[in-house]
Amino acid sequence: MLTTKGKAPIVSRQMLVFFAILLSYPLWADAAGLYEYLGIEIVIFIIYALGFNLLLGYTGLPSFGHGAYFGVGAYGYGLAQLYLDAGFIPGLLLAMLAGTVASGLVALFLSHRRGIYFALMTIAFGQVFWFLAIKLRGLTGGEDGLLNIFRPDIDFGLFQISLKSNFAFYYAVALIAVLVTLLLWRLVHSPFGMAIQAVRMNETRARFVGYQVWWIKWTVFTLSGAIAGLAGGLLNVAQESAFPDTMSLHASGLIVMMVLIGGGFVSFWGPVVGVIVYYLARDLLGSITEAWLLWYGLLFMAVMMFSPEGFAGGWGKLVAWVRRRKQGEVLMGGAQND
Amino acid sequence: MSAIQPVLNESLGMEFVTNLLPHLINGLALGLLFALIALGFTLIVSVMEVINLAHGSLFALGAYLAMVIIDPSLQNAGPIGLWYLGLPHLLRYAIALIVAPALVAVVGFGLELCLRRTYGKKKEYGLLLTFGAALVLEEAIRLTWGPVEQFLSVPKEISGAFIANGLIYSTYRIYAAAFGIFAIVLVWLFLTKTPYGAIIKAGAHDSEMVRALGINLPRLQLLVFGLGAALAAIAGIILTPIWGLRPHVGVDAVIPAFLIIVLGGIGSFWGAVLGGLLVGMGVAITGAYASAWSLLSMYLLLILVLTFRARGLFGKKTALEA
Repeated sequence: MLTTKGKAPIVSRQMLVFFAILLSYPLWADAAGLYEYLGIEIVIFIIYALGFNLLLGYTGLPSFGHGAYFGVGAYGYGLAQLYLDAGFIPGLLLAMLAGTVASGLVALFLSHRRGIYFALMTIAFGQVFWFLAIKLRGLTGGEDGLLNIFRPDIDFGLFQISLKSNFAFYYAVALIAVLVTLLLWRLVHSPFGMAIQAVRMNETRARFVGYQVWWIKWTVFTLSGAIAGLAGGLLNVAQESAFPDTMSLHASGLIVMMVLIGGGFVSFWGPVVGVIVYYLARDLLGSITEAWLLWYGLLFMAVMMFSPEGFAGGWGKLVAWVRRRKQGEVLMGGAQND
Repeated sequence: MSAIQPVLNESLGMEFVTNLLPHLINGLALGLLFALIALGFTLIVSVMEVINLAHGSLFALGAYLAMVIIDPSLQNAGPIGLWYLGLPHLLRYAIALIVAPALVAVVGFGLELCLRRTYGKKKEYGLLLTFGAALVLEEAIRLTWGPVEQFLSVPKEISGAFIANGLIYSTYRIYAAAFGIFAIVLVWLFLTKTPYGAIIKAGAHDSEMVRALGINLPRLQLLVFGLGAALAAIAGIILTPIWGLRPHVGVDAVIPAFLIIVLGGIGSFWGAVLGGLLVGMGVAITGAYASAWSLLSMYLLLILVLTFRARGLFGKKTALEA
C-alpha cells in the first residue's frame, strides 16, 4: 500500500540511484546496445507517468483519458512554435498551460464522481479531445498530425545550446525530469500529499474529517494534467511533430498499464520501472517478433493475475522475505547457542 | 391566406420527415445494435463489477470468425469441404450467426477464468487485465487475418437496396434493425421470464447473498461473461458489413457501448436500450447534416445528460461507486 509519512528527506537514497542512472545514461547507452533517442522518450514518459501516478496511485482515481492532456500539451507546444514563434522554454510553459486548462475544465465535470463513473467519464472526455484533434484539421493537421516543428536553440544570452543534437536535448529533458521528481516527491510528503491519500483510502471519511474532497480531486487531476501537458510538449520537441494517436484510448490505456506494471500502487518509483520495462520490452521483443504487443499484453495479463502490485510490489515482497529470513537465521542461531 | 399557411407548413414538415426517414432507419439499426453491445457490457459490469475493455475485441473476433465460417478456404479439403461450400449462402450465414458467438463465448469463459484472480482486489486490476486481453486479441486478429480491411459477405436475400417514395433504402439496414429488436427481445425474455435470468439479476443486485442462498456463483459469473461476449459477437456480425472489418474495429464499438451504459445508467436494461437508441439516432441525424461531426454528438449527449443526472437516465446508486 502506498503510504507516505510526513517526514522525508529532500533527496532519498533511491532518488540518488535514479538520478545517477538518468544523468549517466548517454555515457553507457551505446555500450548497452541502446541509443540516445530511446532515452529521450523513456525520460519523457517517466515525467508523464510520475505525474499520472499522483492521480492513480496516490489519490486512487483511475483516468483512462489522460492521453488527451498529453496530446493537448503536444499540440499546444507545436502551435506556440508555429504561430507565436515562442522558443523552447516559453513553448513548454504554454504546453503546460494548455494541459492545465484542458484538465482543469474536465475536472470540473469529474470531481464529484466516484469509481466506475469517474473512470467512464474520463474515457468520454478523452475521446472528445482525440476527436477534436482529428477533426479540427485547420488547426491540428487532422490525422496527419502537426508536422515540421523543428527543435529550437536555447539562447542564454552569452551562449546558445542547440537542441538539434539528441545529446543536448537528452540533458534538457533529464534536467526537467529531475525537477519534476523533486517536486512530486515533496508534494506527496506534504500535508496535501497526506490529504490525497486520505481521499484514496476512504473518500467519505476524508470528507467527514473536514477535507474539501471536491477541491482536492480537482487539484490533483489538474496538476497531473499539467505534467502530462509538459511531457506532451517535450515529446513534440523530440519528434518535431504532434500526432492525434497520442490521445487515443489505446495510448491512454498504455500509460495506465506502464504505471501499474511497474507498481504505481505500492511505490513512488513504480511508474519509473514501468516505463523502462515497457520501452525495453518494445525494443527487445520488437526486434525478435513483430507481434510484440501480443507478448507484452500476455505479460501484462500475467502480472495482473499473479502479482497485481507490479514489479515494485514483487520487489517489496522479495525484500520483506529476505529480511524475515535473516531475522529467522538470527533467532535460530541464538537458539543453537543456548 | 390564413387557411393556406398551416397546410403549407404541414406538407413541408412531411417532406422533412420523409427525407430524414432513411437516416432515421440507419439510426434505429445502429442504436439497436449499440444497445446489444451495451447490454452484454452492462451484464458483465453488474454481476462481476468489471469494466470489460476487451468487449470491443470480442465484437471484432465474432465478426472475423463469422467471415471464416461463411467463406472458409476449403477448396482443397475434400468432399466435405466442397459439400459445405455448396450449401446456400443464407444457410452458411445462419450457421455463422450461431457458431461464431458460441466460439466467442468460449473465449469469454477463458477470460473470466483469468479475471477470477482479481475478484475482491482493487477494481482497476480487473479492468486492466481486460485491457491486456484486448491488446492480445487485437494482435492475434492482426496476425491471423492481416491488417488490411476484409469483408464479411452478406447473402443476397438481405443485401441490396429498394426505392420507395423516391428515396433509397438499404435492405440490410432494415434487416439489421429487425435483428436488433429480435435479439433485444430475446435477451429481455431470458432475463425476465426464466429462472436463470432471475438468478443473474439477483447476482447483479447482491452477489454475496446469492452465494449464501446456495447458488453456484462462480458458474453464474462464467455464464454471464460468456453471454456478454456472445452478445458482442452477434452485434459484430451484424454491424461489420456496414462498418467494414479491420482489426481495430472493436474500438469503434466499445466506446459507444461505454457511453451508452453511462448514459442509460449502469445495470439498467431499459437504460441501455434507450441510451443505445439515443446515441444511434444522434449519430445518424447529425450524420445527415454534418457527417464529419456525427461521432462527436454522442460525447456531447453524454456530457449533457451526466451534468444533470449524475447516474445516467435510469441509474441507481450502487456499490460500483465506492
